[in-house]
Amino acid sequence: MTNTARAGQTLLIAASSMFFAAFTSAMVVRRGLSGDWIAPPLPAWIWATMLLGPLASWLVQRGQIKSAMAAGAMLVASQLALLSNLRMAVIGEAFCAVLIAAHAAHAAAGVAALGRFGARAGLFWHFVGALWIYVLFLFGVWA
Amino acid sequence: MTIFSTDHKVIGKQYIGLALFSVLLGIVLSLVMRFHLVHPDAKVKLFGALWPDGAPGGQMTPELYLSLMTIHGTIMVFFVLTTAPQSGFGNYFLPLQIGAHDMAFPVLNMLSFWTTALSLLTLLAAFFVEGGAPLSGWTAYPPLSGLGRITGPGQGLGQDLWILSIALFCVASLMAAINFIVTIIELRAPDMGYFDMPLTCWGWFVTALISLFAFAVLLAGGILLLLDRTAGTSFFVPGGLIVNDQIQTRSGGSPILFQHLFWFFGHPEVYIAILPGMGLISTILSTFSGKKVFGYKAMAIALLAIGGLGFVVWGHHMFISGMSPYSSIAFSVLTLAVGVPSAVKTFNWLATLWGGRLRFTAAMHFALGFVSIFITGGITGLILGQPGLDIYFHDTYFVVAHFHLIMGVAAIFAIFAGLHYWFPKMYGRFLHEGLGKLHFYMTFIGVYAVFVPLHFAGFVGNPRRYPDFKEYEFLKAVMPLHIGVTHAAYFLAAAQLIFLFNYFWSQRRGAAAPANPWGATTREWRDD
Repeated sequence: MTNTARAGQTLLIAASSMFFAAFTSAMVVRRGLSGDWIAPPLPAWIWATMLLGPLASWLVQRGQIKSAMAAGAMLVASQLALLSNLRMAVIGEAFCAVLIAAHAAHAAAGVAALGRFGARAGLFWHFVGALWIYVLFLFGVWA
Repeated sequence: MTIFSTDHKVIGKQYIGLALFSVLLGIVLSLVMRFHLVHPDAKVKLFGALWPDGAPGGQMTPELYLSLMTIHGTIMVFFVLTTAPQSGFGNYFLPLQIGAHDMAFPVLNMLSFWTTALSLLTLLAAFFVEGGAPLSGWTAYPPLSGLGRITGPGQGLGQDLWILSIALFCVASLMAAINFIVTIIELRAPDMGYFDMPLTCWGWFVTALISLFAFAVLLAGGILLLLDRTAGTSFFVPGGLIVNDQIQTRSGGSPILFQHLFWFFGHPEVYIAILPGMGLISTILSTFSGKKVFGYKAMAIALLAIGGLGFVVWGHHMFISGMSPYSSIAFSVLTLAVGVPSAVKTFNWLATLWGGRLRFTAAMHFALGFVSIFITGGITGLILGQPGLDIYFHDTYFVVAHFHLIMGVAAIFAIFAGLHYWFPKMYGRFLHEGLGKLHFYMTFIGVYAVFVPLHFAGFVGNPRRYPDFKEYEFLKAVMPLHIGVTHAAYFLAAAQLIFLFNYFWSQRRGAAAPANPWGATTREWRDD
């Protein structure tokens, strides 16, 4: 990977981190301000998707880009399936939907980047995998 | 020159062209507003033709006034002050000044410009949809902005388009920020360290860093606001609201939460507008004083300090939101602390001039005008940074005068200075110096004639965002002042016609310029 590509991805990761930090801080404040917070119900199977990001990262490191893209696509599909069951009128579920949709957009972009740039887009994909673990813990444990 | 060029010089000129179109539109909107303030009952056929619903029979409704204010503010902040100094000059001159062949990601650069252009079109489309443009100002505070068309004309599709436009602008700005930072970090000439860069590059660098962190937060806030409007969520819309006799079925949202997200972006945005200008003015003062910039390292560090402090002072925009007085004190102290690096810059500019062989070119005039207006606008910032005073001044014309000077006019003076300075490099010809100086003096006088009296209107509690003062007894005393300000605004706008003529005439008929007409020492004058 060139220094330019690495620097570009690092900065993209910084911007994405800020984006998710903004949603997280909004959720923390919104949850604390009112009495209408109900933890979003997450199906048990969603925890299995936590492994898809690291699996794809491992495949990228081994140079198996198509397999990594397949794992990434499975992650996006599972997120879309989860989104269809969330109710926007319930604030906890609405935050869950926003963060999952934002992550799905990042994951889809990550899969596309793997297809276009191969292992050179690996740094961003590693971030996407770690970010999904963060989102799951945010709703599965903290919320 | 191809439309979808990836050449940094072409993209720089495209950004400047977009900003020029935007500023003309913004000026026209402001003139229409000033006209309405002093002639609230006037029936103007043109208004009726342009806005049949907003000005039935030619008489402007209060809602149309607020729409014009919203679009004026949005255009000026995003498409002029954010666009021209950073993306316009920065794209053209950053690679030249650091010895790079182009920006790090030329395709991303092109996409960034066209996303910005799409964002502007999306914003302007709000005028042409049912209900017209939104009323909620460039800050788009909920609940007004979060409930949809029930809250008034323009609050339906017009507000949706506004949010979409800002979201697109955020994406474009993030792409641009990544490009600028990577270009500076990775593509600097091998013999150029960070503290060898011209201060213009430092200005663009710090501005890009601020943009990277600030626009991501605004994008998140915009998405949540759009969902409140379209998906029935309650992020910002509180429960128990009754609007136009209809109960709103939301619960527990917090409008203050949106204010926090907005101003976490909004205050750094002030520095996004002015830091590139600070870098540019440092270079121009140095060139036309025949001296190095006084205290170069301190100037670079001051830029970083202003950029860093900009992220911890957003609460001073929210002193009247009911925040804890302890929070107010913290935000106030941090706000006043911004005065330290700002003073470092101001005194170093003066020290750069001291003992120099000054050449009073048009660019130098605008640079000196920038310093004057930066001081005038900055001092009133110290007043507004104190909660006790801000609570009185917050919703008055004092704030309007303050932010127009420090954020708007100062940055625009830097843009004029930059155009006069770099025009020979961009077009191989000079802007006409005599017309440039005439433009400067008319603009300088006009700016002070418009904005100094508005401070006095603020002293007497003249509220901002009111479309008509005649209904309020206590405001009758300030009407002569508003009439004077409106005439000064006409004068100021007329001065800009001189610049427009000079800008386009000089591109073809201006005197031919040599390779380094000002005897400058920065790299762009040496390299192609």
